[in-house]
Amino acid sequence: MDNILDIIEQLLNTVVVWSQNIGVKFGIFLSNYINPAEIYTLVFRWIIPVLAVMIFFRCISILLSNAGYNTVWGFLDIPNGYKIPIMHWENSIGRSKLSDIVINLPFISRSHAVITYSEGNWVVTDLGSKGGVFVNGNKVDNSEMVEDGDMVSLASADFLFHLSEPTQDKKENHFFNFFNLTKNINSGKTLLFILIFQLIGSIQIFLSSWEDKNTSILLTFLLFIIVECFYYLILKKYSKKYLELELIIFFLCGLNLLVVASAAPAFLFKQLIAIILGIIVYFILQVIINDLTRARKLKYILVVFSILLMLLNLILGESRFGARNWINLGFITFQPMEFVKIAFVLAGTATLDKLLTTRNLTAFIGFSGICIGALIIMSDLGTAVIFFGAFLVIAFMRSGDFRTIALICSGAILGAFVVVSFIPYIAARFEAWGHVWEFADSLGYQQTRTMIAIASGGFLGVGGGRGFLVNIPASDTDLVFGILCEEWGLIVGVTAVLIIVFLAIFAVFIIRGCKSSFYAIAASGAVSIYLMQTILNIFGSIDFLPLTGVTLPFISNGGSSMITSWALLAFVKAADDRYRPDKEVIYEENEDNIYEYDEYELDEEE
Amino acid sequence: MNDLKIITKRALGVLILSLLLVIGLIIFSIKYTKEASDWAQYPANKHIYANGQLMNTGTIYDRNGKFLFKIEEGSGKYNENKLIRESVMHAVGDSGGNIITSARVVFADRLNGWDFLNGSYRFNNKLSKFSSDVKLTLDADLCATAYKALNGRKGTVGVYNYKTGEILCMVSSPSFDPMNPPDIDGNPEKYEGVYINRFLSATYTPGSIFKLVTAAAAIDNIDDIDSKTYHCEGNLEINGKLVTCMSSHGDITFKEALAESCNIAFAEISLDVGANTLQKYAEKAGFNSSLEVNDIKTAVGKVDLKEAKGADLAWAGIGQYTDLANPLNFMTYVGAIANDGVRISPRIRKDNILSNVCTSVTGKKRILSKETADKLGDMMRNDVMQVYGENNYKGLELCAKSGTAEVGNDKKPHAWFVGYMDREDCPLAFAVIVENGGLGGTVAGPVAATVLQKAVDLLQEE
Repeated sequence: MDNILDIIEQLLNTVVVWSQNIGVKFGIFLSNYINPAEIYTLVFRWIIPVLAVMIFFRCISILLSNAGYNTVWGFLDIPNGYKIPIMHWENSIGRSKLSDIVINLPFISRSHAVITYSEGNWVVTDLGSKGGVFVNGNKVDNSEMVEDGDMVSLASADFLFHLSEPTQDKKENHFFNFFNLTKNINSGKTLLFILIFQLIGSIQIFLSSWEDKNTSILLTFLLFIIVECFYYLILKKYSKKYLELELIIFFLCGLNLLVVASAAPAFLFKQLIAIILGIIVYFILQVIINDLTRARKLKYILVVFSILLMLLNLILGESRFGARNWINLGFITFQPMEFVKIAFVLAGTATLDKLLTTRNLTAFIGFSGICIGALIIMSDLGTAVIFFGAFLVIAFMRSGDFRTIALICSGAILGAFVVVSFIPYIAARFEAWGHVWEFADSLGYQQTRTMIAIASGGFLGVGGGRGFLVNIPASDTDLVFGILCEEWGLIVGVTAVLIIVFLAIFAVFIIRGCKSSFYAIAASGAVSIYLMQTILNIFGSIDFLPLTGVTLPFISNGGSSMITSWALLAFVKAADDRYRPDKEVIYEENEDNIYEYDEYELDEEE
Repeated sequence: MNDLKIITKRALGVLILSLLLVIGLIIFSIKYTKEASDWAQYPANKHIYANGQLMNTGTIYDRNGKFLFKIEEGSGKYNENKLIRESVMHAVGDSGGNIITSARVVFADRLNGWDFLNGSYRFNNKLSKFSSDVKLTLDADLCATAYKALNGRKGTVGVYNYKTGEILCMVSSPSFDPMNPPDIDGNPEKYEGVYINRFLSATYTPGSIFKLVTAAAAIDNIDDIDSKTYHCEGNLEINGKLVTCMSSHGDITFKEALAESCNIAFAEISLDVGANTLQKYAEKAGFNSSLEVNDIKTAVGKVDLKEAKGADLAWAGIGQYTDLANPLNFMTYVGAIANDGVRISPRIRKDNILSNVCTSVTGKKRILSKETADKLGDMMRNDVMQVYGENNYKGLELCAKSGTAEVGNDKKPHAWFVGYMDREDCPLAFAVIVENGGLGGTVAGPVAATVLQKAVDLLQEE
């Protein structure tokens, strides 16, 4: 009670101080007592969290409000003139309610067939149905190509398959349309807010390190702002997709640069280069995986490449903070396991026909085993757990089977115990876990300092460049949540975490309208890696979990981590097929075209 | 029909991970609201500490703005008067932070500069310094008088305004000079319990002052209590156990019994009232619960009559048996008698205006009916007139009750003196304890008289 009242009084006091400062500005005390950097912090520490929250809501409301747009690629016509739209590159057909195209006829199997688009052709695949699948009267053994105008028969039901120009089926989603507010949200303005945030932040840090006269901080931020503007203007013109996904990531990258500027100013420019490289990789990956054939080739190339990379790591690896997960090539040092994440996510993907015809996970399990095994040899338990978490998510998407997952889980937990008890460095970290205050100056040093820093920041932060956590070893990677909270306030720190949560929710939201389950699995795999990293990083630094030294996606200092985070984002972006309102082609849904088999509501067992 | 349905269902894993992250954030937020203040006060916090030493704190003042303590540039500054330093040591705190109920510990957030909104951020401007100062309700001079009156004996003195709840005097002895701390570990006998503020954190056997609780129960529950007479022959046997009295009072009324503090009469009254009712009145009076004084929790007094029968119940009704009383808690019970049966929550901070406004609304609790309170008040006034001597407490309009609590082990009893002044201009209630001091009225009484006379002078100056 007293605490709350104290806060109210503090607020009142702040108002008093403000009004006094207006007096001060008009000349009584001036610079003897007050330094301009302090006045700057006093004012802008209030504006920073407001901007952060605004940016967050502007981006998420746009990205969620229009989810549900679907492209129509073609139709299945039935003799009486009805048309069933084909909304994906992969469509399951059957009597089951889970099918993409539900045909409620007694002689159709629950999962009868899939129609997929691959390598420029549409293919129908029989899922072992009772009645069989026929194309132009010929029985399909396994799968068969279909062309525009072909007659596709499922048991004795005939459909005329024909293609159409891709059009979008407009379907407003009312849950997330915050009272139609989103119509007034302009992405250019959102970008402007982000730029203002970054400008205010960089000036704050510049003023805090006034004595250094380190103008490279301002210069780096100006360059970053130029990059953001260029990206935005080009994409605004040439891309049909929503830009808010990149905008919200730009915001996170801005936080990353603010953290680096405060904790390791010498690495600031390098970090900017990493961001730019990340954007380039992001762009190239998108172009490659836009075509499923190319994407599949890329998958095999990357898997082979990453196995080589892991071998290289095991041979040449250097140890930092206990884990042997660095490679030094003389002119560059990097963490190979970061890049393996990209291959790992791709390795888990599969198209729907494969998903429903073969339930074979052996290859993926094998590759996962290699990755996790390599990580255990490197003593990088944190990354091993990240891979394992992502593995579970992907494996479930692949198999849909809880029992297998439970079996894998129990095996892994047992294995984890063995690993922990054998690696002394990791065991030591577990020792202090849960009661770090008893080891405040030894094993719990980093965690307790993080908590002290978070508490010191309050909701609004002490101002960029004025924190003490930056002096703690590895704070700009492992304890980055603490730096955010201390210097920019709990509101900004929590917003950053919520953006990661949002990315995950967003992925689940858009995969419903995804062309192919390939993209759906890739997006889910990517966000599950983000989530695992965030959980281990943040909860490790505040002693909810053992501190394992993993990076926070987009925010931690480090080139490998930044580039990988951007690369993984390409998978999320690829799953999003929706067009911006200013670019969309509106397909008016004709009520007459809706195909219903209501009159056949018989629903008997096969 | 528009969804990749199978695969969407299987994206469950992503949702589970998101949920884990969100739940973790929520748990962290809860933990943050509870513990952030402690985290920020850890000596490794470079915003407040340098080399483990606090750098600057706000100033602690007494109610009249008298300077008591602050830290400037890493060194502690105290009041220049040694007597004041010693007498307010428990209220203000020592350099080691050993007194957990002291202002330096309890108001550390404000003094050291921390709150939820701003964290440890402080605008470094000479003008904004006041926002971390703390003004106490204590009167340093009154505390000094009280400490001097205790004259080195162990014990405690507390005085508070029973209309506003402000604590004017809070002294605990033994104490020491925080500016030049003595060798405490070398003198365990002399400095026994020196880090405890006895007024807030100790409990003592109440002895006869507990008769004020028994009397309240009697007034409400025994119809003809005024017309009743009890017979005292110095002792009374109940089921083979003996209840003894200081003297043999013969036939005695209820009113006389309180004034003479007759154990036999109150033993019979306790048995009449019964364990359940007595328990209820003890709890109303504040036993078995803690009071909060601006977030400082007092020690919990104890009355447990579940097993008490016969002589045990009788002894419990006269403040022996297993009864324990916290001085501050009992003082507020006496304050409630003075304030027509309404207990005002005590407080130690004067400058938290909002909190004080809230306390004046929520900090009131009726624990006795007005009639019962008035009647008890009359009887306490009668105690002074008949037994303690009005001359000893001239002009104070004193209503009081003494207590001589037997503590066993061949030690002298604790001397208690509690009461209040029935004066509109000085609405003060008090409690005085001298440990192993002897008779309440003759040992603790004079301490109360000195302190109250000084309090009247000081209040009239204000």
